[in-house]
Amino acid sequence: MAGSALKRLMAEYKQLTLNPPEGIIAGPINEDNFFEWEALIMGPKDTLFDGGVFPARLTFPSDYPLSPPKMRFTCELFHPNIYPDGRVCISILHAPGDDPMGYETSAERWSPVQSVEKILLSVVSMLAEPNDESAANVDAAKKWREDRKQFEEIAKATVRKSLGL
Amino acid sequence: MAEGDISFDPNRNYDDETLSLQREIEKEIAENQELIGPMQPIEELIEHYAKEDQIYRHKLMDLRKRHSHIRKVRGDGNCFFRGFGFAYLESLLTDEAEFARFKDIAVKSKDNLVALGYSQFTIEDFHDTFMDVVGQVEKKVSVDELQNVFNDQGISDYFVVYLRLIVSGHLQKESDFYSSFIEGGRTAKEFCSQEVEPMGKESDHIHIIALATALGTCVLVEYMDRSGEICNQLVFPEEGARPAVHLLYRPGHYDIVYSLTSD
Repeated sequence: MAGSALKRLMAEYKQLTLNPPEGIIAGPINEDNFFEWEALIMGPKDTLFDGGVFPARLTFPSDYPLSPPKMRFTCELFHPNIYPDGRVCISILHAPGDDPMGYETSAERWSPVQSVEKILLSVVSMLAEPNDESAANVDAAKKWREDRKQFEEIAKATVRKSLGL
Repeated sequence: MAEGDISFDPNRNYDDETLSLQREIEKEIAENQELIGPMQPIEELIEHYAKEDQIYRHKLMDLRKRHSHIRKVRGDGNCFFRGFGFAYLESLLTDEAEFARFKDIAVKSKDNLVALGYSQFTIEDFHDTFMDVVGQVEKKVSVDELQNVFNDQGISDYFVVYLRLIVSGHLQKESDFYSSFIEGGRTAKEFCSQEVEPMGKESDHIHIIALATALGTCVLVEYMDRSGEICNQLVFPEEGARPAVHLLYRPGHYDIVYSLTSD
């Protein structure tokens, strides 16, 4: 099964290199191990995270793409849908049965025809539009809802920090 | 959890605990049931039900009038697709004309998906594996060998993924017809990405009709639940020809059954 996963991951890497989506760079950390990727995600324009560059790690299971990868930001990112330890919590990273956050049924879910590119595009949308209905970081969700100004300040500081300023 | 014992620990990761518990249950099922089990006489199934369970015993006696054997399929949410896939290919081992017709549809099915906008790289591995299995049938492997192929988790799951994609492609292509059967005001595309394409999502009538229609074949399902006296039989699609696949449905699960008459 790991052979099929490797073949698919190589095809996806090639695809992402030939046609990179805007604001996203992703690939294996080391070409000896295609199951650990690093991604750099640019904060989407005209959003709170505009200008930031956020590094993340993707870890693929041996039965990928039957099962989804796990994704974790390796930088600080105060956001309702990112756990304080950096793990990303969005519906596309879960199959419909795995429903710990009670995602809306209309939310996009993992299936074998999804891809790294689709995940990363969903993460970009998540940065642009936090979803405080299924919060992974309760503090961040609360600030987003009740004290938008302070949330914006923290976001700005995060952007600066991500650029090493 | 006892009442009054409800405490929330923000440092615990309940999501992960739920998921790992789910994985353990799946593992336990996997250890006790092959993906596609051996052929057993229906009588062995009757013995599984307690003497007191008159409704099921009665219905099994009724089923016994039409079907001699059962082949159990692992209950992992993919049982309809896996059971259908095995039983259909098994029937094709001895039906060359039907095989040729099916193979033609199978080869062309990928173009339909590409036309619907699926990226080549997301579907080709599944289609390749699917065609490899179809190639085994063309080589006329034995039923036991076919069973081994379907019990190889990697191959078997890729085969199931592709059957799901055939259903998805068919529902999207014929969305005008199917839209009135889709619940929740969803588009065919949304329905497919939520209820058809993800592995482990259970199948309903719409999945069965779509798969049988897309492949131009016919499925008979014996429904066995706690209502009524006998099993209800439904054929999908209704106006279909002689069913190539016979399944037994008990709430939440499909197994393969074999007709008494081998006509």
